[in-house]
Amino acid sequence: MIRHLITLMWNRKRANGLLILEILLAFVVLFAVSSVGVYSWLNYRAPLGFTYDNVWKVQLNPGTQPAAEQFASLQRVLARLRSTPGVVTLSRSVDNTPFAFTTNTAEFKAREGKNRPDAYGDIYDAGPELRDVMGLRMVAGRWFDQRDEVSARYPPIIVTELTQAALFPDGKSALGQLITDNDRETYRIVGVSGPYRAGGELSEPQPGYFLYISPQDTARALFNLLVRVQPGSGAALEKQLNAEIRAASGGWASSIVALPDERATKLKFSLTPPAILGVVCVFLLVNVALGLFGVLWLNINQRRAELGVRRALGATGAAISRQVLGEILVLTTFGLGLGLLVAAQFPLLGVLDVKAGVYGTAMALAASGLYLLATVCALYPSQLAAGIQPAVALREE
Amino acid sequence: MQPIPPVIRLTNLEKVYQTKTIETVALSQVNISIARGEFVSVMGPSGCGKSTLLSLMGLLDEPSSGTIEIDGRPVTSYSDKELAGLRNHKIGFVFQSYHLINDLSVVDNVELPLLYRPGVKGSERRRRALAALDQVGLNARTGHFPAQLSGGQRQRVAIARALAGQPEIILADEPTGNLDSVMGEEIMELLLGLNRDQGTTLVMVTHDEQQARKTQRLIRFFDGRQVA
Repeated sequence: MIRHLITLMWNRKRANGLLILEILLAFVVLFAVSSVGVYSWLNYRAPLGFTYDNVWKVQLNPGTQPAAEQFASLQRVLARLRSTPGVVTLSRSVDNTPFAFTTNTAEFKAREGKNRPDAYGDIYDAGPELRDVMGLRMVAGRWFDQRDEVSARYPPIIVTELTQAALFPDGKSALGQLITDNDRETYRIVGVSGPYRAGGELSEPQPGYFLYISPQDTARALFNLLVRVQPGSGAALEKQLNAEIRAASGGWASSIVALPDERATKLKFSLTPPAILGVVCVFLLVNVALGLFGVLWLNINQRRAELGVRRALGATGAAISRQVLGEILVLTTFGLGLGLLVAAQFPLLGVLDVKAGVYGTAMALAASGLYLLATVCALYPSQLAAGIQPAVALREE
Repeated sequence: MQPIPPVIRLTNLEKVYQTKTIETVALSQVNISIARGEFVSVMGPSGCGKSTLLSLMGLLDEPSSGTIEIDGRPVTSYSDKELAGLRNHKIGFVFQSYHLINDLSVVDNVELPLLYRPGVKGSERRRRALAALDQVGLNARTGHFPAQLSGGQRQRVAIARALAGQPEIILADEPTGNLDSVMGEEIMELLLGLNRDQGTTLVMVTHDEQQARKTQRLIRFFDGRQVA
């Protein structure tokens, strides 16, 4: 029967050309949605590498205070906050705090090795306290500490595991290795950390680099703090911190946001484009489904005599129903074949630098969705076809 | 020794088409027995119920009352699956307008009845379809499509399709109605040959008195009633 259906549908390929085109378009839409979905899901499942509960981001605004006085003010603010009950620990930071919309990226190269591998990734300025504030995990080596205050030939840098794998693909440990920032400055790796995906759950895991900010650094990371507070801290502590900052600095303004709130905002923002795409795709798929349903319905009505003959020759109602379903599944396979040819170009050409596995999974999901869509659309027309009375259908001709 | 039952027996058969406003009696009190190997023609004016009779004999429709027996077994209470099986194994159909599937080649059309017969492999289907086409003299046209054939050739394909399932009964509804006299004569000879050489039971609805006279028995209908 399958051979018969394939023969029949192949012979009707011209008549069914538009239907095949519609199925192809449906597949492309499903493939696009599935690719975004699989990509986002895999990112969401990957570990963030830090904890954000009970961490607050404090933004400082020195107002009109002269620049020369600002570092001293900051020192007083840090001392005051550290001694404030409810504050566990805190760290200076630049703008690219977790879940912020700011990123800082660069490409680093191994200074030695075959072809000198490079890795593009996020850069974070980090003080000695950042590890405790964010609950970072070390894989090898150490985090920044007082040893990094001693002047060394090469400034220290900490890389993430992913960076280690990218820069040292032969499996060599990154510890003690030298890497260069676009051949301008050379750093020595003193530690390898777990992941740190400050971009949030939906950001793609990518290499990360931590550059050291000395507590004595008067130029960088002056106006952002990450503060770990006691669990259950709320508006009262927030109000107190703002007051302490104003008092210690001589009038600085400050704003405090809890990282869970920042995360929610980032998630909402990141999910908006896929959600819009999803809604558009649902409309498109509904249109495709209605089109398929309509064409099949029309098709059944135009083929009443043929279906009547098949009943006369021994087909049961159920066999007719299966035939109609089978025909649409064969047509779906034709459309799917063309769609897969298009979709296969994405992993082959490395479009958007997304892993081939994402496209592969998306293809499988889209194909399953397409068969499901076709089956659902064909169910009612197939029931109609099964109900055709052969005597009536043959008399109509 | 028990007497051989008629291959088809219709007893007090009635068929009434009912709509909200009109009740149309298509057949009334029909009692017909067709013996095995008989060639019977059915004649009557248009609308007298000939085609309805053939549909009921072919188990394509249900009677409003009365019984239909095939090989001595009443089939009026059979399920859809059982009726389909009976049609497939015992009955072959030939229609006035051929009812071939235009998108299938001649040989694929002829294979159709065997497609609904479980257990018949593809190679066996093809072999039997080719043999049936050979029987109707169309073995040179197996790869053609119906649109590439003349009316007479199409009807031969339809007969080959009916033969492929090796049925005991062939029901032919005006098989020469769309053909000119020469082609009509050829088809009639083919049907007569099947009856004569293979003992196939044939029931043929026709408007052609001359062709009807070539069959063994003529049944006449008028206004849904058997008049002769």
